[in-house]
Amino acid sequence: MIGRMLAGSSNPPGLPGGGRDGLVYEAKDLFGLGQLSDFLWYALAALTVGSAAGVAFSRNIIYSAFSLLGTFLGAAAMYVYLAAPFVAITQVLIYIGGVLVLILFAVMLTSRIRDVQISNGSLAPLPGALGLLACAGLLGYVGGSTPWHEVARPEMIDQAQALGDGFLSTYLLPFEAASVVLLATLVASVVIARRETDEEEAAGRSEAADRGGAGTPPGAVRAGGRAAHGPPATEEV
Amino acid sequence: MLHVGLAHFLAVGALLFALGAYCVTTRKNAVGILMGVELILNAANVNFVAFGHYSWGGIHGQVFALFVIVLAAAEAAVGLAIVLTLYRHYKTIDVTRAERLEG
Amino acid sequence: MEAAIARNLGSLGAFLPEIVLSAGVLALFLLDLVFRGEGRRGRLTWAFGIVLALAAAALAVTPSSPRGLFNGMVVQDGLGTFFKWLFLATAAYTAGIVVHSKEISRARLGEFYALLLAVLLGMDLMAVSGDLLMVYLSLELVSLVSYALAGFRKDDVRSAEASLKYVIYGGVASGIMLFGISYMYGLFGTTDLALLGPKIKAFSGEVFVAQTLGGATAAQLALVVAVMFVLAGVGYKMASVPWHMWCPDVYEGAPTPFTAFLSVGPKAAGFAVALRFFGVGFTEAAGGGLVNTATVPWPAIVGILAAITMTLGNITALGQTNLKRLLAYSSIAHAGYLLMGLAAASILGFQSVLVYLAVYLFMNLGAFLVVAIMAARTGGEDISAYRGLVRRAPFTAIAFTVFLFSLTGLPPLAGFTGKYLLFAALLQQGGSWYVALAIVGAINSAISLYYYLRIVKAMVLEPPAGAGGPIEVPRTYGALLAGSMAALLFFGLFWSPLYGASLRATQALFRG
Repeated sequence: MIGRMLAGSSNPPGLPGGGRDGLVYEAKDLFGLGQLSDFLWYALAALTVGSAAGVAFSRNIIYSAFSLLGTFLGAAAMYVYLAAPFVAITQVLIYIGGVLVLILFAVMLTSRIRDVQISNGSLAPLPGALGLLACAGLLGYVGGSTPWHEVARPEMIDQAQALGDGFLSTYLLPFEAASVVLLATLVASVVIARRETDEEEAAGRSEAADRGGAGTPPGAVRAGGRAAHGPPATEEV
Repeated sequence: MLHVGLAHFLAVGALLFALGAYCVTTRKNAVGILMGVELILNAANVNFVAFGHYSWGGIHGQVFALFVIVLAAAEAAVGLAIVLTLYRHYKTIDVTRAERLEG
Repeated sequence: MEAAIARNLGSLGAFLPEIVLSAGVLALFLLDLVFRGEGRRGRLTWAFGIVLALAAAALAVTPSSPRGLFNGMVVQDGLGTFFKWLFLATAAYTAGIVVHSKEISRARLGEFYALLLAVLLGMDLMAVSGDLLMVYLSLELVSLVSYALAGFRKDDVRSAEASLKYVIYGGVASGIMLFGISYMYGLFGTTDLALLGPKIKAFSGEVFVAQTLGGATAAQLALVVAVMFVLAGVGYKMASVPWHMWCPDVYEGAPTPFTAFLSVGPKAAGFAVALRFFGVGFTEAAGGGLVNTATVPWPAIVGILAAITMTLGNITALGQTNLKRLLAYSSIAHAGYLLMGLAAASILGFQSVLVYLAVYLFMNLGAFLVVAIMAARTGGEDISAYRGLVRRAPFTAIAFTVFLFSLTGLPPLAGFTGKYLLFAALLQQGGSWYVALAIVGAINSAISLYYYLRIVKAMVLEPPAGAGGPIEVPRTYGALLAGSMAALLFFGLFWSPLYGASLRATQALFRG
């Protein structure tokens, strides 16, 4: 390990560590195929990173959202290369089928009100770009030069079965915890996004009346936004 | 040199992370920032699966990635719900006054 | 696989409090549909209280001898039990604030309680997580539900904006933490904290040797990046600099009872994770003390964060006039004080964090309770609304003064005990860095006295603003105020029970 650390630190970034020699040799054996799959990988990596750049740099938020599709697809392809087809399928189904659709919804909705801005702490593009370069440089150096532990021959395991067994044995508690997270989150989302029913509005109104009866002007109860700017609660929500 | 190995995947992960970080630090639009978060999550996932494949074998990296995907979906759901409520407020309230909480 | 299943089944008995809470979440979702009409508020609160009582009973009978549960995903030990009691108390106190609060409408109270229980479950899991996978999952459970709870006040656009900011900063922080965890996994091949400890030690030894031979920069950097990134997710929960930006806006926009909860519960949960992460992963007991096993100087990193956090929190708090924002910055400052205990990286340091969190529960929840009372009765969150309070509601004003003095750390209140232990832990370590940090902490306490005193001055010396009639305080609130004051006085004078409990909890961390 110490030897690899010393050797690794002298390697130029991007070069695979010492343990990979066997596989490099093997790839030369299967000359045409090995090269082809590698070139395909570079194309897919370019798609992934290029689309991510589109997400980050595009002026138009809708283009960003569509670029995200390329990143998600490219990442799914990465998982295929890493012998993780199950993760790749999940990525396509959930990320592209679910998350991306949600994000597109959000983009379409907010595009009508132009921007849902958040105020504090956004950087100008130039310092941001410097940060980007520093961050990419640092992480690239760490990723490329650290002598990561590597198995001699990465194996293909029976993915779906191993994962299923894992979820019901070793990872049972996280699996159950994730289900609680999903339940609570979905209920929470519905609670804050739904319109209130007439009955609830009536309850709210009667409570507001109670408040008024307690010797306080109703408008003053919320000192901030509503009394000053907004319509009464029940009209809009 | 051209042969794809662990370092290549880590480089993709690093670039995705850096772009995501750029996105969240420079964007003002809330949904844009959430997209940057998705980039960061994907970066971590590529790392997890790559380490699982090249470094340690087994399914731990993949399991981690699957949990991350699930939680990302949950987060997107909450995010959309919140954007929807804001949308309701701003539909009637003046859009130019989008900044009530500042500083 | 059979062995893993058997271990899961064998862990169920020790997991009773969490099972009760999960069942409670479901029960409250259903009861929300059943209870209708006038008595709804009271009945739902009773149901919530019963769930808490059952969870407390389950916690009381659950053993706390150190062992791993569910294949190492969570651990059972004194530290977890200590935090679980803390969280239960926080939730019960919050329910006491909610019961008369008009900010949570009667129609949505059931959902509020159910989701609050889900957050409580998440915090419990954070406190006992033995694996970074569980840390991530439970942290997300707390975060995701908190985002929604912060935006619970539909009539107020501030609440929705607070929620949006919370979700954005939270998403970024957890994403960064996840990236850090991926490097931890890459370096060590496991995310189980108990297994990480020895591996980090061995790895650091090799890095150290390689460094003396002039290499291993990248390996060292990888570990530093991993630790810093994991700290991002945890620091976000604690509201420590530089992950504090969400704090004032969310505290101001969220419903006040939930703000109160947020200022204590998730902050404590963040510290629970940090204590376990650094305690189990990066230190080991040697010769009666603790030593840092990693080549990462994490006590120094945490110490610098502590100094910046408390200074920034206190300086910014000076200029605030909105009480909720002021208390938000004060809560950031307190995250800084608490980080001092972590930075001390000693048994006493870890203990002082536990003691301070327990004390902080009473004083901060009490302070927010007063803010909730004032917001409901006078409609003001601004400091001007507190003018002449001592004439309008003498008991509330006295209680608030006690809480503020305790937050400052004045004797004989419990806040002093907590601060005393934090400083003692630093000075026990002795190095000039630690003394410098202690001096920064002392200066900060002096600064904080200024803005706390400003409130007291407004309450006592200034005449009431406008129609200054007496303010009616519900009996529940009166009882809570009295109870908090009593607790602060009691622990200020007799702090050995708290000290003993924290000692048992801390020692449990380093025995297994």
